[in-house]
Amino acid sequence: MTDTLNELPPLTQDFELGFTYTRSLGPVLSRFLTGLRDGQVLAARTRAGTLLVPPPEFEPVSGASIKELEPVAAEGTVLSWCWVSQPSSSAPLNKPFAWVLVRFEGCDGAMLHALAADAKEQVHTGMRVRVRWAPERVGNVKDIACFEVHKQ
Amino acid sequence: MANHAAVIGVGQVKYQTQRDDVSIAGLVREAAQNALDDAQLEWSDIDAVVIGKAPDMFEGHMMPELYLADALCATNKPILRVHTAGSVGGSTAIVAASHVQSGVFERVLTVAYEKQSESNAMWALSSKQPFATHLNAGAGGFFAPLIREYIQRSNAPAEVGMQVAVKDRLHALRNPLAHLHMPDIDLATVEASPMLWEPLRFLESCPSSDGACAMIIGSERAAAASPKKPAWIRGTAMRSEPTNFAGREQVNPQAGIDCAKDVYRQAGIQNPRKDLDTAEIYVPFSWYEPMWLENLGFCDIGEGWKLTLEGATSLPEGGDIPWNCSGGVLSTNPIGASGMIRFAEAAQQVRGLAGDYQVEGTQLALGHAYGGGAQFFSMWVVGAEKQ
Repeated sequence: MTDTLNELPPLTQDFELGFTYTRSLGPVLSRFLTGLRDGQVLAARTRAGTLLVPPPEFEPVSGASIKELEPVAAEGTVLSWCWVSQPSSSAPLNKPFAWVLVRFEGCDGAMLHALAADAKEQVHTGMRVRVRWAPERVGNVKDIACFEVHKQ
Repeated sequence: MANHAAVIGVGQVKYQTQRDDVSIAGLVREAAQNALDDAQLEWSDIDAVVIGKAPDMFEGHMMPELYLADALCATNKPILRVHTAGSVGGSTAIVAASHVQSGVFERVLTVAYEKQSESNAMWALSSKQPFATHLNAGAGGFFAPLIREYIQRSNAPAEVGMQVAVKDRLHALRNPLAHLHMPDIDLATVEASPMLWEPLRFLESCPSSDGACAMIIGSERAAAASPKKPAWIRGTAMRSEPTNFAGREQVNPQAGIDCAKDVYRQAGIQNPRKDLDTAEIYVPFSWYEPMWLENLGFCDIGEGWKLTLEGATSLPEGGDIPWNCSGGVLSTNPIGASGMIRFAEAAQQVRGLAGDYQVEGTQLALGHAYGGGAQFFSMWVVGAEKQ
């Protein structure tokens, strides 16, 4: 008798794959995150004179190595935003918030982070925000707990 | 007919167990900068970047070529990533060479790397799969049965593998960049090391290294303008076959035989042992020296181990065909880079820049890499003369 291949449903099986790794950050990013631990925002000065937060290891335009970082104020301006009305369990804040692109004071470029706000109506492009530091800081981008509205 | 292409710059790093002072980007950058310095070029002289590394799962970086574009000054340039398992360093160099041979690019930067200290190569190589028993073996566990089969077929004495392990580590003492420097290495030390995968001992296996290797490949015009002697690319070849199929010849893979024949034909090589002056061959486990001596046609089948025992492949013993004068994969193994190191070291030999491990008067050298279950092969022949 011939065994046909369509008498049974095809088999499937779940499987989980995971490994442990290490990351070394090198001098530039290590200094930047150590700065955050100490409550300081550090920007990269490029050859063209621009200031970038977060700092890259190598200049995106010229390709030169970043040689120096300098402190900037822990506040800036929202360039763009997106309101999250139903945060998932992995979101940085457990109530509705905004993802924002923040340009630090006097800098070029922008950093993506969360903004704590009471309502969507509070958020707009060009608004002023400042860093809300995490209560315990370890040298991680999460040392910036989030940004908050900065009323001057 | 392809255009001529040549290696006009080589850059490496000091290979070691751990480079925790730099990120992966910093490591790759260091090798690339050294290659540019060797060629006396600036980043702006580079027209395209070809990068290679082992599987993404080894270090857990998805598409590292994207993350590394800044470090390699690839902004507004083509960047292409090559992936052929352990042979990737070789095939990456070949893809870079073809960029130039096509006539489209003048100077191409090619780089390959691995940071084994931060990776999980051992288990990423032998991950569990559904519907299958889990062979928790790693590379050594995969190749050991093939080596046992070789020994059985060829009646090779047990010390052959250990002799390769000693020979390549003695070569490494001449190479300041080699990872392992073991001045007291001898057969007794190798024999006393733990048996990992019978018949492979710990010291018959490659180390885990951090490192990167880069080359600048240039056109005929770029080579003419280059301050140092170029290594002319006289032939390139790649071949592959599936890991397993009924009747596959795994000890002496057909893909390796065919790849060698192809590259020899391009370079006008009739007798590799006689026509080549030296070779950098991918030998991550000691016994692969005699196995590849046969596969690559340096001798008849079953005779490879005799060349090893006679010292034919040893530089200090004055062998006629020294293999892995840099110390080889047995002395330095940043996996993704290991193939490119073979290709680059072959180039350094024909450029006369191999320092204390220079084979005097080298005119033609073979660079070789293999990967997967000995199923991907890449090879090039480089020469001191254009043709």
